[in-house]
Amino acid sequence: MSDAPGALADGTRGEGKAVMAEGAVAVGSRPARRRPSRFGFRKPLPRGLELSIALGASLGLLLLWEAVARFGYVNTLFFPAPSDVAAAMVHMFRDQDLAWHAAVSTARVWSAFLIAAVMAIPMGILMSSYRVIGAASEPVIDFIRYLPVPALVPLAIIWFGVGEETKIFLLWLGTFFQLVLLVADDMRRVPQEYVEITQTLGASHYQILRDVAFRAMLPSLVDNLRVTLGWCWTYLIIAEIVAASSGIGFVIWAARRYMKTPEVMAGVVLIGIIGLASDQILRAVHRRMFRYL
Amino acid sequence: MTAPYLVFDGVTKHFGPIAVVDVPFDYRIEKNQFVVFLGPSGCGKTTLMRMIGGLDEPSGGEIRLEGAPVGPPDRRRGMVFQSYSSFPWLTVAENVAFGMKYRSDIGEEEKLARRDRYLDLVGLYEFSDAYPARVSGGMRQRIAIARTLAAGSDVLLMDEPFGALDAQRREGLQVQLRRIQKRDAKTIVFVTHDVEEAVFLADKVVVFTKRPARIAAEVDVAERLGADRTLELRESPEFFALRNELLHLLREAAGDDER
Repeated sequence: MSDAPGALADGTRGEGKAVMAEGAVAVGSRPARRRPSRFGFRKPLPRGLELSIALGASLGLLLLWEAVARFGYVNTLFFPAPSDVAAAMVHMFRDQDLAWHAAVSTARVWSAFLIAAVMAIPMGILMSSYRVIGAASEPVIDFIRYLPVPALVPLAIIWFGVGEETKIFLLWLGTFFQLVLLVADDMRRVPQEYVEITQTLGASHYQILRDVAFRAMLPSLVDNLRVTLGWCWTYLIIAEIVAASSGIGFVIWAARRYMKTPEVMAGVVLIGIIGLASDQILRAVHRRMFRYL
Repeated sequence: MTAPYLVFDGVTKHFGPIAVVDVPFDYRIEKNQFVVFLGPSGCGKTTLMRMIGGLDEPSGGEIRLEGAPVGPPDRRRGMVFQSYSSFPWLTVAENVAFGMKYRSDIGEEEKLARRDRYLDLVGLYEFSDAYPARVSGGMRQRIAIARTLAAGSDVLLMDEPFGALDAQRREGLQVQLRRIQKRDAKTIVFVTHDVEEAVFLADKVVVFTKRPARIAAEVDVAERLGADRTLELRESPEFFALRNELLHLLREAAGDDER
């Protein structure tokens, strides 16, 4: 067969081209050096450079903030320096059980998120697989999806009081209806060819769903779960501000009452850190699970 | 002449008010023949082939395989598509083995043996553990062919399977497919709009008109070029004569908008 030898070379395209194009300009003065431009249009950056730019930009912003606060350009009562925020966070971890509050919040997010995912994944798959189910459920789901979660807080309190159920319910409400439509979309995008190939191999509908359609949609499903988990944190703070005596939202709201701006900001920053960390973990899981892509 | 194997009996297909396929008389395909459906793009020849596979249902008439009307898709009629023809999450070997996944009539050991045999047959044995994304487009099509053969399909339905490949890989695959078909005695229905591909592969070429697809002509290629197809044949005067003939037939069949 003619196509065997060169076949594995397909993956390495593109990378050399930028270098050559840039090199052509430099020929007159310094022929030996070929340096790719850092502003190459739609060109990749070396991994190390990309990382240092990312860290540098974040650090630069922090330094700017610190300077602005230190030199009195802003009222630190409203806009404390990052060093004060960091100090507040350390103090909160030590004296106010911030770690416990963070754990409570994380547990709420994950339990609501898991409940929503366990319900939304089969539901979304069925909606796309059987038009009857899709037609019956789409109008209702679309309607609820557009209701803002805060608008349902009073109702949630009437139904469930101010216990854990209210928070889980609100978080579930915010994620389930979004996720179910995302899952349905993922399933719809599974190429018809995959389904038809499997049909001609003698598979039942259930076998097609389990062995092929689910596997085919899995990468985008994991991506959507990652995005939805982020939204969960948004609703968590709403739920904890309204009715809670624990969790990061409660801590932030309590600090606000005494105008402890550094503590308010420390709570906000902590949410950002937890979000960033869990996102990175899920990204790594994605990379590991889908090496074949 | 052998008994009719695959029979089209007054088959029509409409999508809403639009007629897509219209084969009003009987058309027969013999067993172990390589039949190429040639027609203008979008003429409905693919729909006709899909109806053989049970992936679409005729609006009128019926298709019979060995006397019995064809039903929903099953293993006897295997499909090879132009794209998405192999599963990206399975290795090359797993993809081929997937063809036998739903067969309980053969044991695990035999499945492994068959998998290796067909991997070898299409020249992919050394790429067994690679994922499809890491191999060439031509190799991905060979995975699909091996999977269909491993499944034990009697009829291979191929929808422009080499359409996305460059000329060289195409030629290589055509030679190989032709050899496999004769060796394993399979009936192949192959859809293409490439005249040279049709001539090179076919025992019989069926020329379709533009939509709705009607049979405009049937050309017995085996009678004129014989069963043995080599790359040298592509340069012979007989090949060119037949190619030109089919080009004319196709132009006529495509009708007025090709003036």
